[in-house]
Amino acid sequence: MAQNARSRKADKVVERMGRKLTRQMVGSLVGCVHCGMCTDSCHYVLANPDDPTYAPAHKADQIRKIFKRNFDWTGRIFPWWVHAEDIRTDADLEKLKDIVFGKCTNCRRCSLNCPMGVDFATLNRMARGALVSVGIMPEGVAIVSKDQWEVGNQMGVLPQDYLETLEWLSDELENEFKDPAARIPIDKMDAEIVYAINPREVKYDPRTISDAARIFYIAGENWTMPSEGWDMTNFGLFSGDDELGAAVAQRVYDRVIKLRGKKLVLSECGHGYRSTRCEGPNWSGKAVPFVIESSVLTMLRYIKEGWIRVDKTKNKEVVTFHDSCNNARSCGFYEEPRELLNLLVPDFREMYPNCAENFCCTGGGGAMSMSEYTPQRLKSAKIKADQLTATEAKTVVTSCHNCVDGLSDVIRHYKLGMKVTQLVNLAANAMMIPEKVVVPVEVPIPAVALPLAGFKILVVDDEPDILTFLAAVLEDQGATVIQAVDGEQALALTVREKPDLVTLDLSMPGRNGGYVFEEIRNNPEITSTRVCIITGKPELRRLIYERPVAPPEGYLDKPVNEDTLLTSVRMILELKHPHGNA
Amino acid sequence: MSESLRFVSDDLQLMAMSFMALVYILRIRWLLKFKASRDRQAPSENRDASSFKGIVYSWANIAMPWSMESTRRMSFFYIQFVVFHLTMAANIGMSIVIPYAPGLIRPMIVVRLLQILFAAACAIGCYRMFRRLSNPAMRLISTPDDYFSLALLTVWSFVSIFAAPNRPDLGEGLLMVYFIMTAFFLVYVPFSKISHYLYYPFTRFYFGRTMGYRGVYPLKRVTQPKPTNR
Ligand code: SF4
Ligand code: SF4
Repeated sequence: MAQNARSRKADKVVERMGRKLTRQMVGSLVGCVHCGMCTDSCHYVLANPDDPTYAPAHKADQIRKIFKRNFDWTGRIFPWWVHAEDIRTDADLEKLKDIVFGKCTNCRRCSLNCPMGVDFATLNRMARGALVSVGIMPEGVAIVSKDQWEVGNQMGVLPQDYLETLEWLSDELENEFKDPAARIPIDKMDAEIVYAINPREVKYDPRTISDAARIFYIAGENWTMPSEGWDMTNFGLFSGDDELGAAVAQRVYDRVIKLRGKKLVLSECGHGYRSTRCEGPNWSGKAVPFVIESSVLTMLRYIKEGWIRVDKTKNKEVVTFHDSCNNARSCGFYEEPRELLNLLVPDFREMYPNCAENFCCTGGGGAMSMSEYTPQRLKSAKIKADQLTATEAKTVVTSCHNCVDGLSDVIRHYKLGMKVTQLVNLAANAMMIPEKVVVPVEVPIPAVALPLAGFKILVVDDEPDILTFLAAVLEDQGATVIQAVDGEQALALTVREKPDLVTLDLSMPGRNGGYVFEEIRNNPEITSTRVCIITGKPELRRLIYERPVAPPEGYLDKPVNEDTLLTSVRMILELKHPHGNA
Repeated sequence: MSESLRFVSDDLQLMAMSFMALVYILRIRWLLKFKASRDRQAPSENRDASSFKGIVYSWANIAMPWSMESTRRMSFFYIQFVVFHLTMAANIGMSIVIPYAPGLIRPMIVVRLLQILFAAACAIGCYRMFRRLSNPAMRLISTPDDYFSLALLTVWSFVSIFAAPNRPDLGEGLLMVYFIMTAFFLVYVPFSKISHYLYYPFTRFYFGRTMGYRGVYPLKRVTQPKPTNR
């Protein structure tokens, strides 16, 4: 019996394989007709024309033969006829390891080029996972996986280092904008956006964090970074370890839930995006109760909706764009980065092939952590190097940290003289800094609770002096005050921030207060928001009350003094008056 | 028509087909026993993405040689594929038409067309055998089943050239060989890679469903402008 001749580890690998096989995988295992159509889609094959062992179908056959021998009766009955073969010794497992980790970056390019729909990359990942389950893996994979299991992030960044990095980045930001609000909020509750990053950013590229922070600040975003569960990368994708994948993704999701964040925004990282956005819910078996999006989409929205303004001429270099395999080929995320890039640079040159057909940076699938395979990785990178050279660009933009490292290695090795950057860097560089930045100001809650503590109030007025006066009075009483200078902004902030009260000026340029008021009442999401009209034109009062919607909760005429304002606000918020008269 | 020819063209075919169908049913049951994984993530950020579109695109992929780099690059191989597969379908059709509706292939034009197809398939089969033997990567991935299946179809196509006129009156030998080969083919198919057409709808369904849901399918790409001679 074949089973009896197996080593203990080989036995476990076969057993795990049996548990992990899905219908999709079995289809891919039985569906290959050995037509060879996929062969030339692999960068390893193209860079090693004399070595047929790199052919995707051959690599897949090393997994297929185990499957056929153990799970498919054609292979059980006629093993020789269909090349079915069992895996027996630990040496066999080591050989398989060198194929699934060392000869494939799981880029899925061959899968896309197979007429039968054979998804080799998925099979390869499954085989990696089976080997990892018995401890057979490249050393780098073992180290990184351990860090992600134990420290909570794949680069072993300690909590203290992470928080200190955010601290000094905040100091820099505050200095740059001369604004105490210009800081990176940590663990802020109820934020609109919880921003998760790649630990590489803390360790090697903090510029990407500060660039993102500058963008959030200028956009006036209500955002935060979590003190835990901040690593959105996931080595489970590379190691094939679904348990690690599920645990890491869940750590991030749990944190967002705990902070009651509305949306999880992921910094630019292809495998992080795929793991956290796409595969995480599959690994953990649960759907995620909040929105997850790439920061590329967030930045694109900011520009399109006017939250930030950019001047593309600030990015002078000729650039090309490299699609990350995980973004483009596994998540269909290739149009939005191009749309954003075109808003950020004047001279963008496509790389061919591109989008989902692009070639891997050759550092994918965790290859950067497997130093034993570096020579063959760099040899296969010739394809990428040629692709980059053909663009004649001096800068390659990518939306993936892993690709930044992979491409930098290719550029160094082939002496291409190019530089690699990300969309966030270009966006931050192109961003125009307005004179006045409106940010949701969070007032620290003092030890003695103030009467308006815990209330969020949006003050809307086009006159800066009045805005400052209203904000100061309300903040002094403990309210969290958000400011808006026109009707457009007022509506957006009301929807986004869900304030307890809006103080609304009626006469403003653009969308006036009357319009804003009616919009608030007509929008079921915010219809119950309490509104206090504060206007210098009492004649407009009639217009407000004649609208076919419920009247505002309060009405004050300008000039308004501190006492009247506070009394009205407290009445509207149904707080007991300090003097007892409701 | 002799009793033996009637038997091999009729009863034997029915037996072989029933056997094939039975094995196929067992095979599909076996495949369905494996759990299909689901996509639990929120829909793609690409507003046009849909599983349905992905599935349709994935199934239609075979008829859209422009949709894959491999078929774009290997257009000659793609044409061979089309001819070869159409011929195999025609050949199966002929094995049913001869015993049950021989009138359909009586016109000489139909016979000649079939013969041209069979000859083309035979030539393609020979070329593919050569490719499989001469290309190191192809040699490496080829199993005895791959060689045998290809040889079987090539020889079957060759024999079909002579069976197409359906003239038992001129000698039953070739028709006997044709029907015996057809029966053998039907019995062998479920155990061989030839049964890939059985898996095709499944593999492409699941791949298309995921790729469609995630917005990868239908594929979009920016094509390289043709170099202009200035
Ligand atoms: S994986 Fe697909 S393209 Fe590659 S040899 Fe198999 S059937 Fe052909
Ligand atoms: S997944 Fe990518 S690296 Fe792996 S065999 Fe396929 S094309 Fe090659």
